[in-house]
Amino acid sequence: MNRHELQAMAEKAKEKHKQLKHKICVCCGASCISSGSEDVLKKLQDEIKARGLENEIEVVPSGCMGPCNQGPLVKYLPENTIYQHINCENLDRVIQSQIVENKPLEDLLLFADSREKPFVKADEDPFFKKQLKIALKDCGDINPEEIEDYLAVGGYKALDKALFLMSPEEVIAEVKQSRIRGRGGAGYPTGLKWESVYKYISDQKYVICNGDEGDPGAFMDRSVLEGNPHRILEGMAIAGYAIGASKGFAYIRGEYPLAIKRFELAIKQATKHGLLGKNILGSTFSFEVEVRIGAGAFVCGEETALIASIEGKRGTPKPRPPFPAESGLWGKPTLINNVETYAAIAPIIVKGGEWYGETGTAKSAGTKVFALAGKINYSGLIEVPMGTTLREIVFEIGGGIQGGGEFKAAQTGGPSGGCIPEAHLDVSMDYESLVNLGSIMGSGGLIVMDKSSDMVDVARYFMEFCMDESCGKCVPCRVGTKMMHDLLQKIYDGKATQIDLDRLEELAVYVKEASLCGLGGSAPNPLLSTLRHFREEYESKILKEA
Amino acid sequence: MNKIPVIIDDKNFEVDPHKTILEVCREHDIEILTMCHLKGLTDIGACRLCLVEVEGINKLLSACTTKVAANMVIKTQTERIKKYQRITTELFFAERNHVCAVCVSNGKCELQNLGYKVELDRIRYPHLFPQCEVDTSHPWYVMDHNRCIMCTRCVRACNEVEGAHNWDVMNRGHQVRIISDFNTPWGESTTCTSCGKCLHACPTGAIWPKAIVQGQLEKNPGMVNELVERRKMKL
Repeated sequence: MNRHELQAMAEKAKEKHKQLKHKICVCCGASCISSGSEDVLKKLQDEIKARGLENEIEVVPSGCMGPCNQGPLVKYLPENTIYQHINCENLDRVIQSQIVENKPLEDLLLFADSREKPFVKADEDPFFKKQLKIALKDCGDINPEEIEDYLAVGGYKALDKALFLMSPEEVIAEVKQSRIRGRGGAGYPTGLKWESVYKYISDQKYVICNGDEGDPGAFMDRSVLEGNPHRILEGMAIAGYAIGASKGFAYIRGEYPLAIKRFELAIKQATKHGLLGKNILGSTFSFEVEVRIGAGAFVCGEETALIASIEGKRGTPKPRPPFPAESGLWGKPTLINNVETYAAIAPIIVKGGEWYGETGTAKSAGTKVFALAGKINYSGLIEVPMGTTLREIVFEIGGGIQGGGEFKAAQTGGPSGGCIPEAHLDVSMDYESLVNLGSIMGSGGLIVMDKSSDMVDVARYFMEFCMDESCGKCVPCRVGTKMMHDLLQKIYDGKATQIDLDRLEELAVYVKEASLCGLGGSAPNPLLSTLRHFREEYESKILKEA
Repeated sequence: MNKIPVIIDDKNFEVDPHKTILEVCREHDIEILTMCHLKGLTDIGACRLCLVEVEGINKLLSACTTKVAANMVIKTQTERIKKYQRITTELFFAERNHVCAVCVSNGKCELQNLGYKVELDRIRYPHLFPQCEVDTSHPWYVMDHNRCIMCTRCVRACNEVEGAHNWDVMNRGHQVRIISDFNTPWGESTTCTSCGKCLHACPTGAIWPKAIVQGQLEKNPGMVNELVERRKMKL
């Protein structure tokens, strides 16, 4: 397919959608599927057919819509009315009211059980109102298994623009101008990373997409991969063009079978239509993508361990330097970015880096996807501008604490992050502010805890996770996490003395500074941050000397 | 070759830019403690004993894997580094079951020497006392996991120098173990050539030849590098 054929195909797809009166999306993200959305989809499709409405109303499976604990969700477009907790029984009432009588069914509207007056137009609901969707745009509105759906919303336009109207240097300049930083957690400026890989001269370079999302409670990457896989492919292809790579790998964790299935399907469709493979869209640029499936090791989210795993070796990290940009996959210059970073590339290319940089704070541009979980009323997937306060996320978007409980802390960044106490609810969610509080942005997991949480137990839980997930290569992480875990358990059991607490603190700093990779380097964070903000809880458990 | 200036512990040196900090320090008799490093094998930066401070870099760097750069200011003996060397040594001893008095390596053990170097008078952390196997299935050699410190020098010697790749690592975290083939008894290995390089590479009494009693083990870790150098000359 050349670029004119691409345009024609996109026009045709748009035209097809124009002829339809309505489009109904049934959320078929992993979360909604697990509560039965596939049966709802099938029944709804059958009902529409039985009523002879298939030329007016299209029923498609879609990716994640956001409010995951209200699922299965059904979205009625273009009205943008979302129904919650839909099953095969109450579906009939939705069809009768919304489709037959063209009247919204109040008692099944999104958040009908918790809001005094639920919103018919979902985007007016506070859950969505405070959000700004860039990476997640289209996720939940299109069928991730049909490339036509992606083309109809302007898909692959960015790749077309990059290949024919921009030089690789211009693409990199655009990404630099956007000021986007790595969404995997470390926050390294993406444009600088691209530029450094671009500058290395090599016969072969690689692009890697890191989809080995392992933080407990995090599901951002999974939702993007499931809901809009073509967006990631497009971002990877643009990256390949910019740095001069002809081969890409998407490393997706094995626990995400649906994401893998949809991503592989997307690769097949894109290759079939000449959007991947040799001479993409008739240009001189060739790029192919292969999926690699992770085997359940958290450490493989660390870039050097991930690279070792792709090479077929044991997934253990290597000391840096050399950085992957210089010597990565099979010793070649390698660009490795997170799923969410690639998801933001296409809009940056189409609308410009300046446009992207307008959102967010001075040092953290754009938006960030968070996975809300824990004791919060509306858990799920959200995307907000950088700089949104934690209070806005928890109380306005997330609807506050379950059961009218009191907020105690929010844990960001998973096992590598820390806890933010109530006193800092007004912290701006950006890379620097979170680090200043002893936490990190991380990949975007956000676990909310109420007063019933014991912070020593929280620290112990995350330390147990790091202890189990340590690869065992370096001594500080291998033995240090085990020692810290045992000491935390001792404190939790009320058997520890002040000496134990002092040793724990000394070990924490040692493991943080002496470990080989980021896993060990950040493993003490939950401990150190809870010690910083909730020291009294530790001290209350310490045995007093007689 | 053009030499570059570096400052190590406040002294000026002109050094070869292709060398690692460890190589440069050893050439100039600056002591850097190591355990997973063995000349002739690929360095992996795993034991973290050779950490040094480099001005302008806020992370500690492993000397064995970091190349020198022009005007690098390196510190090898700060209080922090000494403290961390001691903690690392304590963790080594606390991790498995190291009983010097009954060990074949007693008196000639790199781990024991490390203890003396960091002036280890006690171990402040509780011993983990894991249940470890002693594999005596090989006709000539014994693998005692109680004494293994997971430096993986045996793995690298077997893989990189002998080319047999009998040894590898299984499991994660504190449960890692060195394995023969796919975790079969050493004596049943289909890849082991019984060359004995692993024995000489091993810094402790974890791998030893049968018919040796306490304190009698003579190891020659330098033989690994001698072999590597000899092969280079032949080419």
